[in-house]
Amino acid sequence: MSRLRLLAGRDITSGAEDFTEHVRRLGAQPAAGPALIETIVRSGLTGRGGASFPVGLKWKSVAAHSHGSAVVVVNGAEGEPHSKKDRMLMTTRPHLILDGAFLAAHSVRARQVVLYIGEEHEAARNAMLRALAERRPNERKITRVLGAPPRYVAGDSSAVVHLVNAGIATPMTTPPSPHERGVEGGPTLVQNVESLAHAALIARHGDAWYRSAGRRGAAGTLLVTVAGGVSGPGVHEIEAGTTVAEAVEMAGGVTEPARAVLIGGYFGSWVPAEHAWDLPLDSAMLRERGLSIGCGVVGILHHSSCVVCETAGIMRYLAAESSAQCGPCFFGLRALADACSRVAERGTNPDDMHRLHRWAIDVRGRGACHHPDGAVTFLQSALKSFPDDFAHHPAHWRGQGRQTPAGRAQGAHLDE
Amino acid sequence: MSDTLLWYTTRAAGAVSLVMLSAVVVLGILSTLRVQSPNWPRFLTTGLHRNLALLTLVFLGLHIVTAVVDPFTHLGWLAAVVPFSSYYRTFWLGLGTIAFLLLLAIVATSLVRGFLGHGAWRAIHWLTYAAWPVAVLHGFGTGTDGWSFWLLVLAWACIIAVGVAAAYRFMSGPRDPLASARTAFRADVNRREGE
Repeated sequence: MSRLRLLAGRDITSGAEDFTEHVRRLGAQPAAGPALIETIVRSGLTGRGGASFPVGLKWKSVAAHSHGSAVVVVNGAEGEPHSKKDRMLMTTRPHLILDGAFLAAHSVRARQVVLYIGEEHEAARNAMLRALAERRPNERKITRVLGAPPRYVAGDSSAVVHLVNAGIATPMTTPPSPHERGVEGGPTLVQNVESLAHAALIARHGDAWYRSAGRRGAAGTLLVTVAGGVSGPGVHEIEAGTTVAEAVEMAGGVTEPARAVLIGGYFGSWVPAEHAWDLPLDSAMLRERGLSIGCGVVGILHHSSCVVCETAGIMRYLAAESSAQCGPCFFGLRALADACSRVAERGTNPDDMHRLHRWAIDVRGRGACHHPDGAVTFLQSALKSFPDDFAHHPAHWRGQGRQTPAGRAQGAHLDE
Repeated sequence: MSDTLLWYTTRAAGAVSLVMLSAVVVLGILSTLRVQSPNWPRFLTTGLHRNLALLTLVFLGLHIVTAVVDPFTHLGWLAAVVPFSSYYRTFWLGLGTIAFLLLLAIVATSLVRGFLGHGAWRAIHWLTYAAWPVAVLHGFGTGTDGWSFWLLVLAWACIIAVGVAAAYRFMSGPRDPLASARTAFRADVNRREGE
């Protein structure tokens, strides 16, 4: 377990850090306001929910539209199947997240803070509620807690806004984006819990301090979840720019030779293992290489596993997670998942291969939210990284993935 | 450009617009039904519907512009946007103007559907069922070729195609798989208090 900044302090297996301990270790919550926004802009901190949007710019935009009507949403929905870092941070360092949330609220002159926590993340929710009870009354008074339904799209920022406004966690068409017009019409800052925790530390130590961590020219630290075929899968705090190989080493190394690495989660990309080891884990450095850090998932797939079958399972899951608001997403992802499943089940055939390539292009950009785009980015990475596997796939199918109690496919599983 | 060429262009572009508009309407109707195959999943129907609709506007534009600038008719630009303002075949040409304005509204609202919301967009999209027959009537009444054999064949082919698709749509009832999936998903993520 690597713990540098967010996870410094008491051992993370010993539960949440309480308010007294938090203040003793880090000092009281510093001042907020326009100067803090400038500091965060200079730090170069980017969002950790998946889109890597610059945090300072978002705060600036919300502050500019606010006039006291803004809302801050603390996004701990964490619907990404392999990601564990958000619930881990909420469970162990809730006050760091709350510091970030209230600093953001003061800086953008918000009237309300919404804690949006995945319904299935019970330990995280309890830790956040206990921490909230320890905060000052003026902070508690403006805070409400909402559960995020356990569906993939529920963490989308427009889905959060829709849930608060109408009670239904489905994404909405943007523009207007939530940071222009969101909860009850006010500009709404939807920020991932890890981003807020970083902001709380930057407020205390400054932007130069934030950038002093980082390797190979990258700045800061980030939480990653190393999943799949490693001896110790779990969450690690790493310096930005740490390579995939180094992160996998922190997780105890691979248990069998690796075939492929999933970078960034289900909206990310498959990379052949031999090309993945030296990739630096940093949003800007991965973007230069046409990849995305997403929510920080690094998934290891063993050589004995089949990348085509894994891809089919994940496409099936993503198709089932469409909120069925836009036809191209609902029908397009289903058609792509069907074609991919047929290749997995019955073996390669030219018709389905042609369809996968062509329809992936047809689906992109045709949804109100980015669900179809994320899914085809993932599919296209599989087709591009493993052309031979797709071209010569034998007729085998390794199961449709686990079923949840509700009967919903949970997606393929990187061997654990 | 010679006047004769303009006149031929107006008539040809009108006929092409009618055929394309009918195809757009048929595709639109099909996209609400379970019309699909392994080779043609439903999202391709909606994509074609959209692209063909935009292309239809191009031919419709050609039809209108060539008619207006034709010095023989000297219709004037007003006739293109104000119904029944033309001295020439006032009623029948006015129908064309109405169909044009309706189509403009339908396309414009589709382009900014995100700002409008689904309900408003859908309500306006229903106007297609008014715009299309008005356009067909305009073709019969205004057209120099209204009763020529080739246009009759084309027009009736369009009428039969749209008629069959519409009849099938109304007989098959509201069994849109997208709508039922949406309802199910929304029920699953509905956290409205008191429900």
